[in-house]
Amino acid sequence: MDLSTWIKKERKLEVETPHLHRPAQYLLLSTRRQNFLWTVLSMFLAILLWDLFVRLTNVPPFILPSPRLVLERFLQVLQDGSLLRHSLVTLQEVLAGLALGLTTASALGYLLAKSRWAERLLAPYIVASQSIPTVAIAPLLVIWFGPGLFSKVLTSALIVFFPVLVNSIVGLRSVPADLRDLMRSLHATRWQMFTLLEIPASLPVVLGGLRVGATLSVIGAVVGEFVGADQGLGFMINRARGQYDTALVFVAVLTLVAMALALYGIVVLLESRLLSWRNGAEKTTQTV
Amino acid sequence: MSFQSIARLIIAALLLTACAGSPSPTPAVSPATPTEQTMEQVRLGMGFIPNVQFAPFYVALEKGYFRDAGIDLVIDYDLDEVGNVALVGNGDRQFTVASAEQIMLARSQGLPVVYVLNWWRNYPVAVAALAEANIHTPADLAGKTIGLPGLFGASYIGLIALLESGGLAESDVKLDAIGYNQVDALVTGREDAVVVYTNNEPVQLKLRGYDVTVLPVADYAQLASNGLVTNQETIDQNPDLVSRMVQATLRGISDTLANPDEAFEISKKYVEGLDANADVQREILQATLSFWDAEEGELGASDPQAWENMQQILLDMELLSEPVDLDKAFTNAFIEP
Repeated sequence: MDLSTWIKKERKLEVETPHLHRPAQYLLLSTRRQNFLWTVLSMFLAILLWDLFVRLTNVPPFILPSPRLVLERFLQVLQDGSLLRHSLVTLQEVLAGLALGLTTASALGYLLAKSRWAERLLAPYIVASQSIPTVAIAPLLVIWFGPGLFSKVLTSALIVFFPVLVNSIVGLRSVPADLRDLMRSLHATRWQMFTLLEIPASLPVVLGGLRVGATLSVIGAVVGEFVGADQGLGFMINRARGQYDTALVFVAVLTLVAMALALYGIVVLLESRLLSWRNGAEKTTQTV
Repeated sequence: MSFQSIARLIIAALLLTACAGSPSPTPAVSPATPTEQTMEQVRLGMGFIPNVQFAPFYVALEKGYFRDAGIDLVIDYDLDEVGNVALVGNGDRQFTVASAEQIMLARSQGLPVVYVLNWWRNYPVAVAALAEANIHTPADLAGKTIGLPGLFGASYIGLIALLESGGLAESDVKLDAIGYNQVDALVTGREDAVVVYTNNEPVQLKLRGYDVTVLPVADYAQLASNGLVTNQETIDQNPDLVSRMVQATLRGISDTLANPDEAFEISKKYVEGLDANADVQREILQATLSFWDAEEGELGASDPQAWENMQQILLDMELLSEPVDLDKAFTNAFIEP
């Protein structure tokens, strides 16, 4: 399919555009498509600069490997299955940590939003919990909960907890009072108030917290793995370091970045689906 | 005498005493010690926090052995062993202390690091278990759960060497990566056995009243261990510095072996909190001495067989895909004064 036909299909234009020059055709692309192309260009330039830097400075590969070396190493560990194996372990920890952090934080957030007394009592501990550096608490978690996936799920959940909690409280408290009054006047039950008003009204803010939490959860899982693990991308980084295999460290780090970005993208997608009611009465066809 | 004249007299007397008490001006050049110009600043990377196990360096610093050799030594505790070896390999640091397997792994990745002095004569890793577990030989570890800091580094390599000596493979045991929580994991019964440093955790366990059996790797395999490391560039461009550094370090090691009590007292100045835990730490130093002790004339000399044995373990573990040239990895050329 050529570009003009594609554009026509996208925008349901009635005008044929084959006679337009390419830059003009580009302008007819949706903003999302334009952003995508810019991202690709930016990544390409970054890799080019990286390669140029390595060639010009002659830096040894154990300090800064070239993009080609990283790609070679990536293909090797992809082929022998170890990258997939370790990535799945980390992903498991991340998803479980997100689920745990999200449910506990939103539940506690609801409680604290509703009860000023609960907030006054618990706030010092909650703020203190956020101030404890994860790297310091991770070894303690291994002592208390043993090696194995759970301590990594916990570090991941802990790091997600605070942003989601704060956003839950703020979101619930920002429900417009006049809408509450309206619901009360319509004799809404507590459950109806919760499901039909509070959740939809607080969702934008909560999902904003989840965006932050999604990327942080990856960090949490890796910190847990650094301290004591025999699987996962964090373990892979440790092992690669011990063998001075900096290219493999890069492969693991870039995989983690991709994972975090994918999670972020999923949350953004979730937002656009769950919050589509905000964009107007008529539902537009979603073109991804 | 009037009050004023007494006051003047007192002030004059005070001034005279002040003048007499002030230090005489120091000579511009002290004939006994080297001048500022001849002192070379050397940064030595230590892959751990200040610890009594670095006593020989503290002794050599305190007694001026480095200064006599024209070296202004600065110890950096900022990075771990791997980081330090990478810095030395890149020429950003001249010396560090690292274990032989690090040198082989680094050289296989193109780092031009060279081991110039053998400090620890034996591999310090061991497996410890509570006495009731009845683990007396490496073969007794079959089917057991063993806790270790992680599946990399000296602990992992030492454990595999110990298992191999008992005819076991990694698949014959269950390994748990528990971080640096070996003592807690063992006493709470979470692990059947833990991988420790022979001179450290067992001492602490015994002093805490636990009855432990210890299987030192050194009893079952002769493996090359910790020593002083530099890079090829320093050896080529400044071999005299390497020689002076090695000699000063050797003096520190032999003095520590000859007089450990003095070494311990000196270490108190360099290791914060050593005084507070003096009895445990003094025991640790005592247990460490056997790792540094050498036969007459052998102090500091690397054993080629120990290096071959270590390389074989690395090849068996597939940490090395092919052998490295051991002749270039270590040298005894600087041991003789």
